[in-house]
Amino acid sequence: MIRKFFEWVLSPMGRIAVVITVMSLFSLAAYGVYQTQQPPEQPIQFTHKLHVGLGIQCLYCHPGALRGPSPGLPTINKCWGCHQQIAKTQTSPLLKPMVDAMNAGVGFTWVPVAQVPDFVHFTHRPHVAAGLNCENCHGDMTKVTIAENPQVMNMGWCLNCHKSRTEDNFQNNPTSDAGVSAQLEKKRTKLTDCGTCHY
Amino acid sequence: MTVDLNLVGAKGAIAEAAQGKWGMTIDQDICTGCQACVAACAMENNLAFVGEEDAGYGRTQHWIRIERFWDGEYPHVQATPFQPMLCQQCGHAPCEPVCPVFATPHSPAEDLNLQVYNRCVGTRYCANNCPYQVRSFNWRDYHTVPELGNMVNGTLVFPLHNQLNPDVTVRRRGVMEKCTFCIQRIHKAQDKAKSEGREVEDGEFTTACAQACPASAITFGRVDHPESLVSQLAHQERGVKHLEELNTLPRVTYLKEG
Repeated sequence: MIRKFFEWVLSPMGRIAVVITVMSLFSLAAYGVYQTQQPPEQPIQFTHKLHVGLGIQCLYCHPGALRGPSPGLPTINKCWGCHQQIAKTQTSPLLKPMVDAMNAGVGFTWVPVAQVPDFVHFTHRPHVAAGLNCENCHGDMTKVTIAENPQVMNMGWCLNCHKSRTEDNFQNNPTSDAGVSAQLEKKRTKLTDCGTCHY
Repeated sequence: MTVDLNLVGAKGAIAEAAQGKWGMTIDQDICTGCQACVAACAMENNLAFVGEEDAGYGRTQHWIRIERFWDGEYPHVQATPFQPMLCQQCGHAPCEPVCPVFATPHSPAEDLNLQVYNRCVGTRYCANNCPYQVRSFNWRDYHTVPELGNMVNGTLVFPLHNQLNPDVTVRRRGVMEKCTFCIQRIHKAQDKAKSEGREVEDGEFTTACAQACPASAITFGRVDHPESLVSQLAHQERGVKHLEELNTLPRVTYLKEG
Protein backbone atom coordinates (compact mmCIF):
# COMPACT_ATOMS: atom_id res chain seq x y z
CA MET A 1 0.00 0.00 0.00
CA ILE A 2 2.67 2.51 1.11
CA ARG A 3 5.00 1.25 -1.59
CA LYS A 4 2.29 1.87 -4.18
CA PHE A 5 1.82 5.40 -2.87
CA PHE A 6 5.53 6.16 -3.25
CA GLU A 7 5.51 4.75 -6.75
CA TRP A 8 2.59 7.07 -7.59
CA VAL A 9 4.45 10.04 -6.08
CA LEU A 10 7.42 9.33 -8.34
CA SER A 11 5.24 9.14 -11.45
CA PRO A 12 4.75 12.42 -13.44
CA MET A 13 1.15 12.88 -12.20
CA GLY A 14 2.25 12.28 -8.64
CA ARG A 15 5.01 14.86 -8.91
CA ILE A 16 2.61 17.44 -10.25
CA ALA A 17 0.19 16.67 -7.43
CA VAL A 18 2.94 17.10 -4.83
CA VAL A 19 4.01 20.43 -6.34
CA ILE A 20 0.40 21.67 -6.37
CA THR A 21 -0.10 20.61 -2.73
CA VAL A 22 3.09 22.31 -1.58
CA MET A 23 2.24 25.47 -3.48
CA SER A 24 -1.28 25.69 -2.12
CA LEU A 25 -0.06 25.09 1.44
CA PHE A 26 2.55 27.81 0.98
CA SER A 27 0.07 30.30 -0.40
CA LEU A 28 -2.35 29.52 2.44
CA ALA A 29 0.40 30.19 4.96
CA ALA A 30 1.41 33.38 3.17
CA TYR A 31 -2.23 34.52 3.14
CA GLY A 32 -2.49 33.77 6.87
CA VAL A 33 0.59 35.83 7.64
CA TYR A 34 -0.69 38.63 5.40
CA GLN A 35 -4.00 38.63 7.26
CA THR A 36 -2.30 39.15 10.61
CA GLN A 37 -0.55 42.23 9.24
CA GLN A 38 -3.72 43.91 8.00
CA PRO A 39 -5.36 46.65 10.04
CA PRO A 40 -8.63 45.33 11.42
CA GLU A 41 -12.11 46.37 10.31
CA GLN A 42 -13.29 49.44 12.21
CA PRO A 43 -16.87 50.65 12.80
CA ILE A 44 -16.17 53.80 10.77
CA GLN A 45 -13.34 54.88 8.52
CA PHE A 46 -11.78 57.28 10.98
CA THR A 47 -9.17 59.37 9.20
CA HIS A 48 -6.12 59.77 11.39
CA LYS A 49 -4.54 61.49 8.40
CA LEU A 50 -6.99 64.38 8.52
CA HIS A 51 -7.22 64.79 12.28
CA VAL A 52 -3.49 64.65 12.95
CA GLY A 53 -2.94 66.81 9.88
CA LEU A 54 -5.15 69.45 11.48
CA GLY A 55 -2.71 69.53 14.36
CA ILE A 56 -4.73 67.67 16.98
CA GLN A 57 -2.42 66.12 19.55
CA CYS A 58 -2.40 62.33 19.94
CA LEU A 59 -2.92 62.80 23.67
CA TYR A 60 -6.15 64.71 23.13
CA CYS A 61 -7.97 61.51 22.16
CA HIS A 62 -5.59 59.02 23.82
CA PRO A 63 -4.79 60.79 27.11
CA GLY A 64 -4.09 57.63 29.11
CA ALA A 65 -0.68 57.24 27.46
CA LEU A 66 0.65 60.04 29.63
CA ARG A 67 -0.43 58.53 32.92
CA GLY A 68 -0.95 54.81 32.77
CA PRO A 69 -0.77 51.51 30.96
CA SER A 70 -3.51 52.05 28.39
CA PRO A 71 -3.89 55.18 26.26
CA GLY A 72 -7.60 54.55 25.84
CA LEU A 73 -9.76 54.83 22.76
CA PRO A 74 -12.06 57.87 22.68
CA THR A 75 -15.80 57.61 23.19
CA ILE A 76 -18.21 59.19 20.76
CA ASN A 77 -18.69 62.10 23.19
CA LYS A 78 -15.14 63.18 22.53
CA CYS A 79 -15.81 63.18 18.78
CA TRP A 80 -19.00 65.12 19.36
CA GLY A 81 -17.29 67.70 21.52
CA CYS A 82 -15.59 69.10 18.43
CA HIS A 83 -17.89 67.91 15.69
CA GLN A 84 -21.08 69.51 16.99
CA GLN A 85 -19.48 72.87 16.35
CA ILE A 86 -18.59 72.00 12.76
CA ALA A 87 -21.24 72.75 10.16
CA LYS A 88 -20.00 69.98 7.87
CA THR A 89 -20.93 67.36 10.46
CA GLN A 90 -24.61 67.58 9.53
CA THR A 91 -24.10 67.64 5.79
CA SER A 92 -21.25 65.25 5.06
CA PRO A 93 -22.30 61.69 4.14
CA LEU A 94 -19.04 60.36 5.55
CA LEU A 95 -19.89 61.73 8.98
CA LYS A 96 -23.44 60.39 8.91
CA PRO A 97 -22.63 57.16 10.82
CA MET A 98 -21.29 59.26 13.69
CA VAL A 99 -24.33 61.56 13.76
CA ASP A 100 -26.64 58.55 13.65
CA ALA A 101 -24.76 56.81 16.44
CA MET A 102 -24.83 59.97 18.55
CA ASN A 103 -28.58 60.46 18.01
CA ALA A 104 -29.24 56.82 18.80
CA GLY A 105 -27.14 57.08 21.95
CA VAL A 106 -24.82 54.25 21.02
CA GLY A 107 -21.06 54.54 20.81
CA PHE A 108 -18.46 53.08 18.55
CA THR A 109 -16.73 49.84 19.39
CA TRP A 110 -13.23 50.58 18.20
CA VAL A 111 -11.01 47.64 17.40
CA PRO A 112 -7.59 48.12 19.00
CA VAL A 113 -4.81 47.91 16.42
CA ALA A 114 -1.62 47.89 18.48
CA GLN A 115 -2.16 45.14 20.98
CA VAL A 116 0.07 42.94 23.09
CA PRO A 117 -0.87 39.43 24.25
CA ASP A 118 -2.36 38.77 27.67
CA PHE A 119 0.98 37.61 29.08
CA VAL A 120 2.70 40.90 28.28
CA HIS A 121 2.10 43.82 30.61
CA PHE A 122 2.91 46.93 28.66
CA THR A 123 2.69 50.39 30.17
CA HIS A 124 2.73 53.55 28.09
CA ARG A 125 3.70 55.96 30.87
CA PRO A 126 7.42 55.11 31.27
CA HIS A 127 7.85 55.07 27.51
CA VAL A 128 6.37 58.54 27.13
CA ALA A 129 8.35 59.68 30.18
CA ALA A 130 11.54 58.37 28.57
CA GLY A 131 11.03 60.88 25.80
CA LEU A 132 9.64 58.60 23.12
CA ASN A 133 7.17 60.14 20.76
CA CYS A 134 4.03 58.31 19.69
CA GLU A 135 5.28 57.98 16.12
CA ASN A 136 8.45 56.16 17.24
CA CYS A 137 6.37 53.03 17.70
CA HIS A 138 3.05 53.74 16.01
CA GLY A 139 4.32 55.33 12.83
CA ASP A 140 3.37 58.57 11.18
CA MET A 141 -0.37 59.00 11.61
CA THR A 142 -0.50 61.79 9.02
CA LYS A 143 -0.08 59.08 6.40
CA VAL A 144 -2.72 56.51 7.34
CA THR A 145 -6.49 56.50 7.54
CA ILE A 146 -6.99 53.61 9.98
CA ALA A 147 -4.10 53.20 12.35
CA GLU A 148 -1.77 50.39 11.37
CA ASN A 149 1.39 49.03 12.89
CA PRO A 150 4.50 50.12 11.03
CA GLN A 151 6.33 47.04 12.31
CA VAL A 152 5.65 43.71 13.93
CA MET A 153 5.46 44.35 17.65
CA ASN A 154 7.26 41.37 19.12
CA MET A 155 9.69 40.82 21.96
CA GLY A 156 12.80 41.14 19.79
CA TRP A 157 11.64 44.56 18.71
CA CYS A 158 11.06 45.63 22.33
CA LEU A 159 14.40 44.30 23.50
CA ASN A 160 16.35 45.82 20.63
CA CYS A 161 15.22 49.26 21.71
CA HIS A 162 15.70 48.54 25.41
CA LYS A 163 19.24 47.36 24.78
CA SER A 164 20.31 50.04 22.35
CA ARG A 165 19.02 52.84 24.53
CA THR A 166 20.94 51.64 27.57
CA GLU A 167 24.23 51.18 25.76
CA ASP A 168 27.16 53.38 26.65
CA ASN A 169 27.61 54.53 23.09
CA PHE A 170 23.94 55.33 22.49
CA GLN A 171 23.83 57.67 19.48
CA ASN A 172 27.64 57.40 19.22
CA ASN A 173 28.04 59.23 22.48
CA PRO A 174 30.11 57.12 24.88
CA THR A 175 30.01 58.09 28.52
CA SER A 176 33.28 58.53 30.36
CA ASP A 177 31.49 58.98 33.69
CA ALA A 178 31.54 55.76 35.74
CA GLY A 179 28.40 56.83 37.64
CA VAL A 180 26.39 57.27 34.45
CA SER A 181 27.70 53.97 33.18
CA ALA A 182 26.61 52.15 36.34
CA GLN A 183 23.20 53.80 36.09
CA LEU A 184 22.84 52.59 32.50
CA GLU A 185 23.87 49.11 33.60
CA LYS A 186 21.17 49.13 36.27
CA LYS A 187 18.64 50.39 33.76
CA ARG A 188 19.58 47.68 31.27
CA THR A 189 19.18 45.01 33.96
CA LYS A 190 15.69 46.28 34.65
CA LEU A 191 14.73 46.68 31.01
CA THR A 192 15.89 43.21 29.96
CA ASP A 193 14.46 41.42 32.99
CA CYS A 194 11.73 38.89 32.10
CA GLY A 195 9.71 39.99 35.12
CA THR A 196 9.43 43.55 33.89
CA CYS A 197 6.81 42.55 31.30
CA HIS A 198 5.85 38.93 31.96
CA TYR A 199 3.97 38.15 35.17
CA MET B 1 19.52 34.90 59.99
CA THR B 2 23.13 35.97 60.06
CA VAL B 3 25.19 35.50 56.94
CA ASP B 4 28.76 34.38 57.28
CA LEU B 5 30.51 36.19 54.45
CA ASN B 6 33.80 34.44 55.18
CA LEU B 7 32.57 31.30 53.45
CA VAL B 8 34.66 30.38 50.44
CA GLY B 9 33.81 29.03 47.02
CA ALA B 10 30.27 28.37 45.93
CA LYS B 11 28.93 28.82 49.44
CA GLY B 12 30.55 32.23 49.58
CA ALA B 13 28.86 33.19 46.33
CA ILE B 14 25.59 31.94 47.74
CA ALA B 15 26.08 33.92 50.92
CA GLU B 16 26.61 37.06 48.89
CA ALA B 17 23.23 36.57 47.29
CA ALA B 18 21.67 35.89 50.66
CA GLN B 19 20.23 39.28 51.33
CA GLY B 20 17.81 39.75 48.46
CA LYS B 21 15.59 42.70 47.75
CA TRP B 22 11.97 42.00 48.59
CA GLY B 23 11.14 39.92 51.62
CA MET B 24 8.38 38.90 53.92
CA THR B 25 7.92 37.98 57.54
CA ILE B 26 5.09 35.81 58.80
CA ASP B 27 4.37 35.88 62.53
CA GLN B 28 3.15 32.41 63.45
CA ASP B 29 2.40 33.54 66.98
CA ILE B 30 -0.24 35.96 65.66
CA CYS B 31 -1.60 33.92 62.74
CA THR B 32 -5.03 32.49 63.49
CA GLY B 33 -5.22 30.36 60.36
CA CYS B 34 -8.30 32.23 59.09
CA GLN B 35 -7.33 31.76 55.41
CA ALA B 36 -8.04 35.38 54.50
CA CYS B 37 -4.63 35.49 52.80
CA VAL B 38 -5.52 32.44 50.73
CA ALA B 39 -8.74 34.06 49.52
CA ALA B 40 -7.10 37.43 48.88
CA CYS B 41 -4.31 35.80 46.91
CA ALA B 42 -6.80 33.92 44.76
CA MET B 43 -8.66 37.14 43.98
CA GLU B 44 -5.56 39.19 43.27
CA ASN B 45 -3.75 36.69 41.12
CA ASN B 46 -6.60 35.18 39.07
CA LEU B 47 -6.25 31.79 40.67
CA ALA B 48 -8.61 29.22 39.26
CA PHE B 49 -11.16 27.13 41.10
CA VAL B 50 -10.37 23.67 39.89
CA GLY B 51 -13.60 21.95 40.83
CA GLU B 52 -14.32 18.91 42.90
CA GLU B 53 -12.77 16.23 40.77
CA ASP B 54 -9.41 17.90 40.23
CA ALA B 55 -9.26 18.96 43.86
CA GLY B 56 -9.58 15.27 44.66
CA TYR B 57 -6.48 14.66 42.57
CA GLY B 58 -4.65 17.30 44.61
CA ARG B 59 -4.57 19.79 41.75
CA THR B 60 -5.86 22.74 43.75
CA GLN B 61 -4.29 26.03 42.84
CA HIS B 62 -3.10 27.97 45.81
CA TRP B 63 -0.13 30.28 45.82
CA ILE B 64 -0.36 30.42 49.60
CA ARG B 65 -1.74 27.74 51.87
CA ILE B 66 -2.08 27.31 55.62
CA GLU B 67 -0.22 24.29 56.88
CA ARG B 68 -0.87 22.69 60.23
CA PHE B 69 1.01 19.93 61.90
CA TRP B 70 0.54 17.81 64.99
CA ASP B 71 3.04 17.33 67.74
CA GLY B 72 3.23 14.10 69.73
CA GLU B 73 1.48 10.73 69.56
CA TYR B 74 -2.29 10.21 69.65
CA PRO B 75 -4.12 10.88 71.96
CA HIS B 76 -1.64 13.39 73.34
CA VAL B 77 -1.46 15.47 70.22
CA GLN B 78 -0.84 19.16 70.23
CA ALA B 79 -1.38 21.44 67.26
CA THR B 80 1.59 23.53 66.21
CA PRO B 81 1.06 27.16 65.21
CA PHE B 82 -0.46 27.70 61.77
CA GLN B 83 2.14 27.98 59.07
CA PRO B 84 1.22 29.92 55.92
CA MET B 85 3.39 28.48 53.16
CA LEU B 86 4.08 30.34 49.95
CA CYS B 87 6.89 30.59 47.44
CA GLN B 88 9.95 31.56 49.46
CA GLN B 89 11.48 33.40 46.49
CA CYS B 90 14.74 31.61 47.24
CA GLY B 91 17.96 33.40 46.49
CA HIS B 92 19.39 30.06 45.44
CA ALA B 93 16.29 28.33 44.18
CA PRO B 94 16.16 24.60 43.43
CA CYS B 95 13.40 25.18 40.85
CA GLU B 96 15.47 27.46 38.64
CA PRO B 97 18.34 25.33 37.30
CA VAL B 98 16.11 22.38 36.37
CA CYS B 99 13.88 24.22 33.91
CA PRO B 100 14.84 23.06 30.39
CA VAL B 101 13.46 26.20 28.72
CA PHE B 102 14.48 28.84 31.30
CA ALA B 103 10.86 29.65 32.04
CA THR B 104 11.58 30.22 35.71
CA PRO B 105 14.57 32.55 35.73
CA HIS B 106 15.85 34.62 38.60
CA SER B 107 15.05 38.28 38.15
CA PRO B 108 18.24 40.30 38.38
CA ALA B 109 16.34 43.56 38.86
CA GLU B 110 13.89 42.54 41.58
CA ASP B 111 15.74 39.50 42.96
CA LEU B 112 12.64 37.33 42.72
CA ASN B 113 11.94 33.96 41.18
CA LEU B 114 9.93 34.56 38.08
CA GLN B 115 7.57 32.30 36.23
CA VAL B 116 7.30 33.22 32.56
CA TYR B 117 4.00 31.68 31.50
CA ASN B 118 4.47 32.10 27.77
CA ARG B 119 7.80 30.34 27.87
CA CYS B 120 6.76 27.45 30.13
CA VAL B 121 6.23 24.14 28.34
CA GLY B 122 4.91 22.29 31.36
CA THR B 123 7.55 19.72 32.22
CA ARG B 124 6.66 20.21 35.92
CA TYR B 125 10.28 19.54 36.85
CA CYS B 126 10.39 22.77 38.91
CA ALA B 127 7.45 21.66 41.04
CA ASN B 128 9.12 18.33 41.67
CA ASN B 129 12.29 20.06 42.71
CA CYS B 130 10.65 22.63 45.00
CA PRO B 131 11.29 21.63 48.61
CA TYR B 132 8.40 23.84 49.79
CA GLN B 133 5.87 22.31 47.36
CA VAL B 134 4.37 25.67 46.49
CA ARG B 135 4.08 25.43 42.72
CA SER B 136 0.83 24.50 41.06
CA PHE B 137 0.19 23.29 37.57
CA ASN B 138 -2.66 24.17 35.24
CA TRP B 139 -4.03 20.79 34.26
CA ARG B 140 -6.83 22.40 32.25
CA ASP B 141 -7.96 25.80 31.04
CA TYR B 142 -9.69 26.23 34.36
CA HIS B 143 -11.08 29.64 33.52
CA THR B 144 -13.02 28.31 30.55
CA VAL B 145 -13.85 24.65 31.24
CA PRO B 146 -17.58 24.23 30.58
CA GLU B 147 -18.15 22.20 33.73
CA LEU B 148 -17.17 25.15 35.86
CA GLY B 149 -19.48 27.68 34.19
CA ASN B 150 -23.18 28.28 34.67
CA MET B 151 -25.62 27.62 31.86
CA VAL B 152 -27.89 30.67 31.65
CA ASN B 153 -30.51 30.64 28.87
CA GLY B 154 -28.41 28.37 26.74
CA THR B 155 -25.16 30.31 27.03
CA LEU B 156 -22.24 29.53 29.29
CA VAL B 157 -21.60 32.24 31.83
CA PHE B 158 -18.45 32.48 33.90
CA PRO B 159 -19.39 34.97 36.62
CA LEU B 160 -15.90 35.09 38.05
CA HIS B 161 -14.50 36.46 34.81
CA ASN B 162 -15.72 39.85 35.96
CA GLN B 163 -13.36 39.84 38.89
CA LEU B 164 -10.20 38.85 37.03
CA ASN B 165 -7.30 41.17 37.73
CA PRO B 166 -6.21 42.76 34.43
CA ASP B 167 -2.68 43.24 35.77
CA VAL B 168 -2.13 39.49 36.03
CA THR B 169 -2.04 36.96 33.21
CA VAL B 170 -4.83 34.39 33.12
CA ARG B 171 -2.78 31.25 32.87
CA ARG B 172 -3.69 28.73 30.23
CA ARG B 173 -3.49 24.97 30.28
CA GLY B 174 -0.11 23.35 30.63
CA VAL B 175 1.86 26.00 32.46
CA MET B 176 3.25 26.09 35.95
CA GLU B 177 2.47 28.95 38.28
CA LYS B 178 3.47 30.15 41.72
CA CYS B 179 3.51 33.11 44.06
CA THR B 180 5.11 36.17 42.48
CA PHE B 181 5.27 38.32 45.64
CA CYS B 182 2.55 40.34 43.84
CA ILE B 183 5.07 41.62 41.30
CA GLN B 184 2.27 43.57 39.60
CA ARG B 185 1.93 45.64 42.79
CA ILE B 186 5.70 46.07 42.99
CA HIS B 187 5.73 47.39 39.43
CA LYS B 188 2.77 49.65 40.04
CA ALA B 189 4.36 51.16 43.15
CA GLN B 190 7.69 51.59 41.37
CA ASP B 191 5.99 53.19 38.40
CA LYS B 192 4.08 55.60 40.63
CA ALA B 193 7.19 56.45 42.65
CA LYS B 194 9.18 57.05 39.49
CA SER B 195 6.54 59.31 38.01
CA GLU B 196 6.72 61.37 41.19
CA GLY B 197 10.52 61.34 41.16
CA ARG B 198 11.13 59.47 44.39
CA GLU B 199 11.96 56.03 45.71
CA VAL B 200 9.34 53.49 46.79
CA GLU B 201 8.68 54.08 50.48
CA ASP B 202 8.41 51.34 53.07
CA GLY B 203 4.78 50.39 53.61
CA GLU B 204 3.59 52.27 50.55
CA PHE B 205 2.21 49.06 49.11
CA THR B 206 2.01 45.49 50.21
CA THR B 207 1.10 42.09 48.84
CA ALA B 208 -2.51 40.90 48.70
CA CYS B 209 -1.99 38.37 51.50
CA ALA B 210 -0.39 40.92 53.81
CA GLN B 211 -3.12 43.43 53.02
CA ALA B 212 -5.87 40.95 53.81
CA CYS B 213 -4.36 39.57 57.03
CA PRO B 214 -6.70 40.73 59.83
CA ALA B 215 -4.06 40.02 62.48
CA SER B 216 -1.27 41.75 60.51
CA ALA B 217 0.82 38.63 60.79
CA ILE B 218 2.30 39.12 57.33
CA THR B 219 4.68 42.00 56.62
CA PHE B 220 6.17 42.72 53.24
CA GLY B 221 8.90 45.09 52.17
CA ARG B 222 12.54 45.63 51.36
CA VAL B 223 14.81 43.31 53.31
CA ASP B 224 17.91 45.11 52.07
CA HIS B 225 16.87 48.34 53.80
CA PRO B 226 17.84 47.95 57.46
CA GLU B 227 15.30 50.56 58.60
CA SER B 228 12.27 48.93 56.95
CA LEU B 229 9.72 47.20 59.16
CA VAL B 230 10.16 43.83 57.50
CA SER B 231 13.91 43.74 57.89
CA GLN B 232 13.67 44.78 61.56
CA LEU B 233 11.14 42.01 62.16
CA ALA B 234 13.24 39.50 60.23
CA HIS B 235 16.27 40.14 62.41
CA GLN B 236 14.43 39.39 65.64
CA GLU B 237 15.45 36.49 67.83
CA ARG B 238 12.26 34.65 66.85
CA GLY B 239 13.04 34.58 63.15
CA VAL B 240 13.50 31.23 61.44
CA LYS B 241 13.73 30.28 57.79
CA HIS B 242 12.36 27.03 56.56
CA LEU B 243 14.64 24.30 55.17
CA GLU B 244 17.59 26.60 55.61
CA GLU B 245 19.88 23.58 55.61
CA LEU B 246 19.18 23.16 51.88
CA ASN B 247 20.90 26.48 51.24
CA THR B 248 17.90 27.82 49.36
CA LEU B 249 18.24 31.26 50.97
CA PRO B 250 14.53 31.86 51.42
CA ARG B 251 13.25 35.44 51.53
CA VAL B 252 10.42 34.63 53.90
CA THR B 253 11.18 34.68 57.62
CA TYR B 254 8.84 32.91 60.00
CA LEU B 255 8.58 34.36 63.50
CA LYS B 256 7.88 31.79 66.16
CA GLU B 257 8.59 31.72 69.87
CA GLY B 258 10.66 28.79 71.01
